[in-house]
Amino acid sequence: MKKLLLVLVALAFIAGFVSAQEIAVIVKTGNSSFWQNVQTGCFDAQKELKAKTPKLSVTFLGPQSESNVAEEINIVESAIDRGVKAIVLAPSDVTALVPAVKKAKDAGIPVVIIDSLLTGPTGNYVSFLATDNDAAGRACAKELIARVKAATGSDSGKIAVMSYVAGVGSEIGRVGGFKDYIAKHSHLQVVTTQYSNADMPTALNQTTNVLASNPDLVGIFGANEPTAVGMARAIAQAGLSGKIVAIGFDGNAALQNFVKDGTLQAIAVQSSYNMGFLGVKTAYDAGFAKKSVPAKVDTGFIIVTKDNIDTPAAKNVLY
Amino acid sequence: MSDTHKDPQGHEMLAAPGRSRMALDRFITFGAVVVMFAVFSITAKNFFTMRNVLSLALQTSTTTLMGIGVTFTIITAGIDLSIGSVVALTGTVAVMAAIAGVPIWISWLIGVLVGVVCGLTNGLLITRLKLPPFIATLGMTFVVRGVALTITNANAWPAPDRFGALGNNTIFRTGNQFPGIPYPVLVMIAVAFLFHFVLKKTRIGRYTYAIGSNEEAARLSGIKVNRIKIISYVICAALAGLVGIILASRMVTSQPNSAIGYELNAIASAVIGGTSLMGGVGTVGGTVIGSFIIGILTVGLTMQGTNYFMQQIVIGLVVIGAVAFDQLRNK
Repeated sequence: MKKLLLVLVALAFIAGFVSAQEIAVIVKTGNSSFWQNVQTGCFDAQKELKAKTPKLSVTFLGPQSESNVAEEINIVESAIDRGVKAIVLAPSDVTALVPAVKKAKDAGIPVVIIDSLLTGPTGNYVSFLATDNDAAGRACAKELIARVKAATGSDSGKIAVMSYVAGVGSEIGRVGGFKDYIAKHSHLQVVTTQYSNADMPTALNQTTNVLASNPDLVGIFGANEPTAVGMARAIAQAGLSGKIVAIGFDGNAALQNFVKDGTLQAIAVQSSYNMGFLGVKTAYDAGFAKKSVPAKVDTGFIIVTKDNIDTPAAKNVLY
Repeated sequence: MSDTHKDPQGHEMLAAPGRSRMALDRFITFGAVVVMFAVFSITAKNFFTMRNVLSLALQTSTTTLMGIGVTFTIITAGIDLSIGSVVALTGTVAVMAAIAGVPIWISWLIGVLVGVVCGLTNGLLITRLKLPPFIATLGMTFVVRGVALTITNANAWPAPDRFGALGNNTIFRTGNQFPGIPYPVLVMIAVAFLFHFVLKKTRIGRYTYAIGSNEEAARLSGIKVNRIKIISYVICAALAGLVGIILASRMVTSQPNSAIGYELNAIASAVIGGTSLMGGVGTVGGTVIGSFIIGILTVGLTMQGTNYFMQQIVIGLVVIGAVAFDQLRNK
C-alpha cells in the first residue's frame, strides 16, 4: 500500500513536472494550410516567449476532420487532465465545447478562444481572438454587389452561396453577415445555399450543379478555402471565368492563382498567422504572467484582388 | 458446387434458379432510376440536357468505381473502410510524383500502384493476422490518412496542368452540340464491364461468392480462401487508387484531407444495389445502379433548389428504404 502510494506520488510529480509549462493549442483540424498557418504563428510565439520561460512548450493538436466535434472535446479534456498551464482553442462547434471549457476554468486553466465563436457565459474563457467574420462576410457582400453593378449596371439578379459546415460559429458569422448585407443593400436574391463540409470535390460538384440549373446566375460566394477552390474550379470548367462575379474566402496558392487569372474577382483573407501568434501570447499572459488580457481581439482580414495581390499588405496574409 | 446452394440467410447463391427473379429485381431498381430521372427532368431546370447528364455521370463515376471495388470485399463477407483515405493518399502521391518530374501517365500508374499496396496490406492483415476486416481496414483508415498528411505536410500541392487531362478532358466532342464524354465516365464503363465479367465468368468471381456464402465449405472444397480474399482487397484498393488520381486530376491539386467519409457512399451504393453485408450476394450492375440512385438524388435535389438539410434527410431515407424493400422481398 505504501509502495503504491509512493508510486502514485512520484507519477503525479512527474506528470506535474513535465506538463507544468505547456500551452496546448487545440484547433478544428490539423489538416489544412489555414491551420498550418495558425501553427506557424503559434511556434513563432513560442520562440519569442522561450526567452522569458525556457521550459515553455507549445503543443498543437486537432481532430482528423472539422466536423469531428466529439474528438475535439476529448483532446480538450485530456489537456485538462495533464494539467496544462493554458489552452488556446478553436472550437468546431458553438455549443458542444462549452462544458469542456467550463471544466478547464474550474481547474484553474485559462482558455483563449480563437477563430470561432463559443456560446455560454463569456466568463468561461479569458479572451476571444478571431477575424470579425460578420464584418468579413459583409465586406465580401459589398465587393460582390459593387462588381455585379459594374458588370450588369444593376444590383438585382440571382446569386448562390457555397458554404462549408452548417452551424459552425465562423460560418454563422461569415455567411450570416454576407446574406444580411446582401438583403439590406441590394436587390440580389440568394437562390440556394450549399454546404460542402469543407470537401473540395463536393464543392466542385455542387457548384457545377448550381451553375447548370441557374444559367442566369450573376454572382457566387465560396465561404472557406476548400469550398472556394472547388467553386472556382467549377466556374473555370463551365467556361464562366470572368462572366460571373465570384468572391472567395481565405488565400492559399490555388486561390491566389484564381484571382490572378480572373476566375475569382476577390478573396477575403484572414490573418490565420495572427490567430496562432496572438493566441499563444495571450494564453501566456493569462497562464504564466497572470496578467489581465483583453476580452476580444480582432485578428483582421484583407480583401485581396488582382490589383493589390502583389502589394506587401496582401503578401503578409497570403500563404 | 450445386446450383441450389443457399447461404444461411436463405439468399439464392448461384444465378441459375434465381435468374428470372434477379432479372425482375434489376428491372425494379432500374425502374426506380428511370422514375427519379423523369421526376427531376420535370422539376429541375436544365436537368435533362445532354450536358447535365454527362456532368451527372462524371460526378457519380468516382462513387461508382469505389462501390464496384468495395462490392468485392462485401461479397466475401468483409468490408473496406479505408478506401476514402486511400483515395486521398493515391491522389497525393501521384501529384507529388508528377511535380517531381515523373511523366504524367507514369505518375497516374504510381497512384494506382500505391492503392494496390494498401489493398495488399489490408488483405495480409485480414488473412495472416486474422483481424476482422472492419478492424483491419478501420486501422488502415488512420494509417493511410496519416501518411498522406505527413508527406504533404497537410498542404494542397498544385499539380502540373497536364495532370488535369484525365479528370477534365473529353472524347467525341463536337463543338457546341455535344460536350463530349468525360474520360472518367469511359473509365467507369470499362471498369464496370471488366469486373462484371470477372465476377460472373471467372473462377476468381465464383470463388468470391463461395467464400462469402460459406467460408468453411469453400475451404474444404479446395478453394484458396486467403488468396481470393487478398485479391478482393487489392481490387478494392486499386479502384480507390484509380478514383484518387481521377479526383486529383479533376482538382489539379493533391488533397490530403479530402474524401473523408467517401467509403460510406461507396458501401451505400453497393447495399442499395442489393449487395448483402452478410456476404455471398451482390453484383457489379446492382452497385452501378445503386451509385446512380445516390448521384441522381444529390444532383437532382440540388438543381431543383431543395434545401440542403432536406436533401440529407431524403438521401438517408432512400438508403433505408431501398434496403428495407430488399429485405422484405427476400422473406
